[in-house]
Amino acid sequence: MATEKKMGVDRRDFLKVLGISGAAATLAGCGNTSIESGAEKVQAYVQPEDFVVPGNSVFYASTCTQCPSHCGVMGRVREGRVLKLEGNPNSTISKGKICGLGQASVQIQYNPDRLTTPMVRNGDSLVPATWDQAMTVIKQGLGKDSVISGEEIVFLTGTTSGHQKVLINNFLNNFNSNNHIAYDALSNHVGETVRENVYGYSNPVQKIKDAKLIISFGNDFLGSGLSPVYMATQYAHFRKAPRGTLVQIEPRMTLTGGNADRWYPIRPGTEGIFALGLANALVQHPEYDKAIPDEVKQALQAYDKRTVGEITGINPDAITHLVGMMWERTPTLILSGATAEGQKQGYQNAYAIELLNVILGNVGKTITAPTENPFPQMNPTNATYQALVNLNEQLSAKKVKACLIMGVNPIYTEPTFVGIAKNLKQVPLKVAMVTQLDETAELCDVVLPLLSPVEDFGTYVAEYQPEGVEIGIQQPLMEKLHPHTKSFGDVLLTLLKERDPKNYSHYPDYYSYIREAVIKSKPVFKSSMTDDDFWDSTLMNGVLHIPVKESEIKEVKINIADLPKAEKAPADVNYPFYFVPSIKADLRDGRHANLPWLQESPDPMTTVVWDSWVEINPKTAEEMQIREGDVLEVQSSMGSVTAQAYLFPGIQPNTVSIPFGQGHTSYGRYATNRGVNPFKLINPITDEKTGELALFATKVQIKKTGDNKKIVKDEGPTTLQQGRKLVVTMAADKAELSKEV
Amino acid sequence: MSLNNLIKNWTSFRARRPYLDQYKNADYKWAMVIDLDACTGCNACTTACYAENNLPVVGKERFEKGHAMHWMRIERYWGEGESVPVDMVPDKGAQFLPMMCQQCEAAPCEVVCPVGATHHSADGLNTQVYNRCVGSRYCSANCPYKVRYFNWWQYADFAWPNPLELQLNPDVSVRSKGVMEKCTFCVQRLRESMDHAKTDGRLVRDGEVTTACAQACPTSAITFGNLANPQSQVAKVWKNQQIALEKDEQKKDENMRGYRIFEEFRTYPSVVYLERVRDLEA
Repeated sequence: MATEKKMGVDRRDFLKVLGISGAAATLAGCGNTSIESGAEKVQAYVQPEDFVVPGNSVFYASTCTQCPSHCGVMGRVREGRVLKLEGNPNSTISKGKICGLGQASVQIQYNPDRLTTPMVRNGDSLVPATWDQAMTVIKQGLGKDSVISGEEIVFLTGTTSGHQKVLINNFLNNFNSNNHIAYDALSNHVGETVRENVYGYSNPVQKIKDAKLIISFGNDFLGSGLSPVYMATQYAHFRKAPRGTLVQIEPRMTLTGGNADRWYPIRPGTEGIFALGLANALVQHPEYDKAIPDEVKQALQAYDKRTVGEITGINPDAITHLVGMMWERTPTLILSGATAEGQKQGYQNAYAIELLNVILGNVGKTITAPTENPFPQMNPTNATYQALVNLNEQLSAKKVKACLIMGVNPIYTEPTFVGIAKNLKQVPLKVAMVTQLDETAELCDVVLPLLSPVEDFGTYVAEYQPEGVEIGIQQPLMEKLHPHTKSFGDVLLTLLKERDPKNYSHYPDYYSYIREAVIKSKPVFKSSMTDDDFWDSTLMNGVLHIPVKESEIKEVKINIADLPKAEKAPADVNYPFYFVPSIKADLRDGRHANLPWLQESPDPMTTVVWDSWVEINPKTAEEMQIREGDVLEVQSSMGSVTAQAYLFPGIQPNTVSIPFGQGHTSYGRYATNRGVNPFKLINPITDEKTGELALFATKVQIKKTGDNKKIVKDEGPTTLQQGRKLVVTMAADKAELSKEV
Repeated sequence: MSLNNLIKNWTSFRARRPYLDQYKNADYKWAMVIDLDACTGCNACTTACYAENNLPVVGKERFEKGHAMHWMRIERYWGEGESVPVDMVPDKGAQFLPMMCQQCEAAPCEVVCPVGATHHSADGLNTQVYNRCVGSRYCSANCPYKVRYFNWWQYADFAWPNPLELQLNPDVSVRSKGVMEKCTFCVQRLRESMDHAKTDGRLVRDGEVTTACAQACPTSAITFGNLANPQSQVAKVWKNQQIALEKDEQKKDENMRGYRIFEEFRTYPSVVYLERVRDLEA
């Protein structure tokens, strides 16, 4: 202090001087001469909403788009980034829960292989372009002067619903077309058609929770089913006291089969015959005697236990046993699933299975009518395999001049015999809208980079509506990551504005389109809120919900001609094995193979990761001297693939299986050149009634190549507990679940 | 617990076992219940764990070497005994087991750590201090549940190619090469809610905080909570199932489903499993 005094400047003064000159230097640097004039230029680096505190998470509601069950989700957002998805408790579908596939949505957003700029074809390759360049190419074909109309334009999608579907239809109508083709490689159209014909509803509510006995014919409702998260929440109730019993009948054990109280392996394609064997035994009981017309009852007599046992490969005693349980444990619920429906007699199989529900009197108890959607135009499109065949016919007739593709990858999922790649190439204008380049986009002339599901607006209506009707609202959970990506809705609106400015020019963007539509729907929800409040509360809830309106299934129709014939399939010497590919709950038809979490998530039944494998029964393997890891060639009349053997006890001895989803040739670093694509083995067999592809009716032969490679899996050297009491099992009659808290 | 104190009183730490009413006057003792009859083996929990805890995706080649970093994994078994016949039909389904750190009260990993990097917290967690860990891997060798995962690689350099790193949870550190890691019971969530509660001058309410796996689980098979609070769901289930934290052999009614894995090793796990149920008449 003394020293400072001597210098004539004390410490306080020194700091004052430093402060002023420091501020002056800063302001001078900004080009301002006084604090006053610079004030308006002073801005925070980030200007968050009032309720955003750096370091604290905010949760926004949205809707999952990973599968057609469209669960309500919540995104955890911090400092402008979405970090994690949770289930939205407001959603009647997800009930606050979420599956692994849903979680992986954020990896679409942050995928290092995202498409970030439009691509335009230049000769043999796609080159990056600006949006102007890309839209110029599109407008040459589909602009305001375009005379393309009717079948000359195709809009190819997967299952779509909500306002995306409405907009696609409006777009096509503008070209006097209704050529919206919805293709799903793993379509459940066969079962839906049967249920439509029997109950009048393609997706009636199946009340798992209320059933005391479920007999499921290959319905993987816990894994790859129609609404796995919802079904799992109901399954949890089903397992509480008084605990229901699950019986699963299928050629290859699904995740649901792995959770069954009793699992029966069955010869693929004979599910309907087994169901009729049960039906025949069931109507012997006086209580079920009057459930069906006499002529059907008579027809059932052909399905005696011995015949059924011989055809299905199931011990005939099982029929007596199961029928005994069906008599005792009511209400029951009988489910048909993918492996029963994806057969040559798929329709008949599903029909026979639903017949059991009719005989058992489940209609109105465990099978009820879904609530009607007051906005039917938003209901999901019925995506089918047949759509691909129709498209291919249109393409090969060379009528199509413009093809727009979104949310589907037919080049990867088409079976070899369809040959859509060649025909698609001839279309003069092909536009793909994707978040990442895939096999189909690579063939197109223009590829537009879309926003990811966590950046976009949208509305979705799930195929399966268990509790009323839920319209899922999708909203951006964060600002877009890549500046040159656009919303699917905005792309269509841009094109529509050019063609029909009168009706569309007042929408600045897709957001305003959806906002207006949602506000217009206000009367249906009897809301007294202002428009702004209604919109805000809709976004906050993440769902619009129409409560359950009980309606009865009015009429149940049974057509004797639709029952499967009790015939044994002839043996095929060249192709002795049934080929039942499995649908993984995460990779599905391969569209999610680009997400690293899912690649590294072990398959629940085999624990294999990052690859394809051939499941073979250990007994068959022993007979053929096949060890785990042996590289097998699996050959059908359509082609062959090679993959390592995995010895799997949950498969019929005369069946082999390869999971769908791998074998991409161009789908980013995580999916490309990994494993094999079983779609390429599928034989041209279709369901006789609906024309849907019989995905599980192919027969194959297997050969050892002589190679053996270590299979990459999570399980250790043993698949047994070796007395370690890791998973202890209690008999149901011993457990006192009602005493538990 | 300072490091000096830890080293000085090493013998007593080694000998420590949980005792009756140990947490009676404590504010928190985090614990879990997993109902194996509700668990379907769907892997929603494991993916949730990857998202929450910045677990690196290691890729096929490293997975083959056993370098997978899944803090939570689903084990799948086909039988309880030593062997099954080659033509065994799994007619009672598969046996699924979600397995993660059991947060043992007398954790075998803690006593072998040469640097005290893994030790017990006051709220009953088996914690891992990353920047104290020297990578001896003794803990992993000593863990009977095999739930400790070693960073053989500097995953930060390649496991999140740009912009995947933007997904990382800022509440959780990205571990570097040479350290051990494992399930923390989502300690970042616990600390956050405990801090909030403390600010409000109260304890964390039951259901206020849960782990990422429990939150995701579609069948609600996982219950998580504060065992020190007798009103919490987790404490009610432990009591109902007649499982006592400090016992290594439970005397319970034979129709009760609760059990702890490898209890006979006297690890005193904080995770109770409820037995899978099968209708044997089906």
